[in-house]
Amino acid sequence: MRRRVAITGAGVISSLASSPSELHAALCEQRSGFRAIEEFASQGFGLRPGGNLALFQAERYLPGKSLRPLDRTGRLVAAAAALALENSGLNQEALASEEVGLVLGTMFSSMHTIGQFDRRALVEGPSCASPLDFANTVINSGAGQTAIWHKLRGINSTISTGATSGLMALSYAVDLISYGTQNAILVGGADEFCFESFCGLERAGLLKHRYIEEDCSIPFHSRRNGLALTEASALLMLEEWESALARDATILGEVRGHANAYDSRYQMEGYGANAMVRAMRAALAEGGLFAPEVDFISASANGSRLADKNEALAIKAVFNGHALGSPIVAIKSMIGETLGASGVVQAIDAIESLRTGTLPGIAGLDNADPELPALDLCTKTRNLQARSGLINSVGFDGQACSLLICTP
Amino acid sequence: MIRSQLQINEDSHIAMRKPHAVVVTGLGMVTSIGTGRDEFWNSLLAGRCGFGPVRSFDTSRYPVHVGGEIADFNPHNFVFNLDAGLIGRSSQLAIAAARLALADGTLTVSNTNRDRFSVCLGTTSGEPHFIEHFDDDYVKGNLLQVGNGFLHGYPCHVIATNVATEFDLSGEVVMIPTACAAGNYAIAHACDLLHADKTDFVLAGGADSFSRITYTGFARLGAIAPELCQPFDRERKGMIPAEGAAILLLERKEQALSRGANIYCEIAGYGLTCDAHHMTAAHPEGKGAARAMKIALQESNIAPQEVDYISAHGTGTVTNDRLETIAVKRAFGDHAYKIPMSSIKSMLGHTMGAASAIQAVVCALAIAESKIPPTMHLYNRDPECDLDYVPNVARQCQVKVAMNNAYAFGGNNSSLVLTQPRGLER
Repeated sequence: MRRRVAITGAGVISSLASSPSELHAALCEQRSGFRAIEEFASQGFGLRPGGNLALFQAERYLPGKSLRPLDRTGRLVAAAAALALENSGLNQEALASEEVGLVLGTMFSSMHTIGQFDRRALVEGPSCASPLDFANTVINSGAGQTAIWHKLRGINSTISTGATSGLMALSYAVDLISYGTQNAILVGGADEFCFESFCGLERAGLLKHRYIEEDCSIPFHSRRNGLALTEASALLMLEEWESALARDATILGEVRGHANAYDSRYQMEGYGANAMVRAMRAALAEGGLFAPEVDFISASANGSRLADKNEALAIKAVFNGHALGSPIVAIKSMIGETLGASGVVQAIDAIESLRTGTLPGIAGLDNADPELPALDLCTKTRNLQARSGLINSVGFDGQACSLLICTP
Repeated sequence: MIRSQLQINEDSHIAMRKPHAVVVTGLGMVTSIGTGRDEFWNSLLAGRCGFGPVRSFDTSRYPVHVGGEIADFNPHNFVFNLDAGLIGRSSQLAIAAARLALADGTLTVSNTNRDRFSVCLGTTSGEPHFIEHFDDDYVKGNLLQVGNGFLHGYPCHVIATNVATEFDLSGEVVMIPTACAAGNYAIAHACDLLHADKTDFVLAGGADSFSRITYTGFARLGAIAPELCQPFDRERKGMIPAEGAAILLLERKEQALSRGANIYCEIAGYGLTCDAHHMTAAHPEGKGAARAMKIALQESNIAPQEVDYISAHGTGTVTNDRLETIAVKRAFGDHAYKIPMSSIKSMLGHTMGAASAIQAVVCALAIAESKIPPTMHLYNRDPECDLDYVPNVARQCQVKVAMNNAYAFGGNNSSLVLTQPRGLER
């Protein structure tokens, strides 16, 4: 008794572009969205590729009201929300109907504000702590601030599963529509680039590589040794199928299936691919597709040694010999690891791939890791009239999520 | 009249898409007034309070010094498989609550149910001690001492993954950090997973550990009471930050019956809305909160007159209690005066993301035990708070239907409806 779910709008703020079509064009041109992260050198950290969106100006997207209550995460989300709402064509009456919900996936959310708030109280005393910042110290502040800005009064939720948060948020919203009473949900993911997250990932060895030619963060590359941390915010408008048709909405795609799984043994030899295999199989089963019917796979791979290997093994296992027939794209080679936003950015690019019939190549993948199983890695941008794409999102600690998008 | 573009499809009734009954078969909680079902419930009915001087950090520069910390919690009594020293306190509390819920539900994790066994928890602050230690290092200039424990310990989803790892569960493992209403959101999502047949068992609830950041914020807002939490009292002076965890074992009714589990109650439906009004202040007319209650009743197919008990958000702040009263009247009309509504925060303080999960446990026990816990320290009712708050003394009365209300920063409103298991002889 599942209701169908249509994608009727998309908005993205990223290092490469601020619209789905421009983003896809940039990815197809294999442009890089990284720079050298120099700002933390004084604190003893070496140069790494990645960085924040230096040119992001929230007022461009969010005119007319004071932005002061919103921290960077709030601004990134509210800005992408403005773009997605506009793109969806929902009118003011629909937005005022108390029917539009908002779901946000995020790994760290407002961690920078949380840290700043606490440090100010430590240094200057608790009476100097900022009440404005305190409002943003809750992990759901991005969703809350965006709901206030755009007056979204339907369900409002925040999903955290680490780096898979964005795709998990999509899954959660799809089910709210499929099995529930919701008819329209703005859903996506965001994580700001900040010192705290940079420091956390650096100390955990995930950003191992240096900003030099010999090291790289290219997915599936033989010399890959760590990810490039960047930031982004991406949202989609999801609507119940009949309701979208009834208002003559432009349907960009359909979410046909999704699933997720967890395996705590991801670091153990022989178990690493488990969760991803289960997630992909269940997503395909829900969507009613056999593996050979999937036209392309958008990989989560980000240049990490273990995670990329696990994902490659999982794809090989699920597609059991058919993998050479399903090209694999990995856009993190260009846009970097955007954590909570990443799965949704992949979804937006997949929608554009379905629309334009082009798949972006994996920039810089001149030497695929020979230890990985043979896969059809899409190294050059290619033309492909695809009808379905499977999106993967893999976390740092055993989380896996898969989502199947088809042409309308 | 302007017609909305979004129309409800009359033919696709909710009951068709939620064909199962979701029931509660295990309860586990760690609180400042008791660990485990019986100790907690007896304390609650006796009106015991869990407040004391804050011990986890120095409050000498604060205007207030009281908190609801769990004084005697020993993680080694509950955390067997993970290294308790490497995980945060919220995870430790959640694991303890999960272990108690599994034992109470007489359920063993095995190879046959592991992949269809999920964890869905709510929180406000996640694992705040990790960022607090990070900040301590930062201000001392010791940043290079930050180790890999920060990334693996801090992000809030680790509470759910730590529970899953401790008990070797590998279904959906998700955190819903919707602040002080998070427990209700987690339970609601768990119900949806079971309705959609995407899982067979869910450990659902919430956890939060006592946080310097949270305490600093509420102290700065002047929202912390100096001594007592007195919801709905004329003299109430605020809330008291606290910590805790509660986890409910949820499954479909057919499954519970087939394995002979004890069924506490059914979770009949939920309503979740957003004020979209202000980050930290509720809507002055309680519109969003009332809408959440109405949706929850509709989804549950329950008439307002059938509600026997409301577990209130009842933080004890001047504004919350007044607006919550307005919202309940808006949703229930005159019948609001006839429904007993108590706030356990009068005894526990505000356990943040765990609060509504602990309240859900209270609703389950109220239904199963036909008793309602009191609102303590309610000596002089605020004239603007004129409902039946079950002042100071627990009450014996049959509860067939309970509503669990919780509100949060971000304008999040949540209502859960819990009922006697329908269609079962008691």
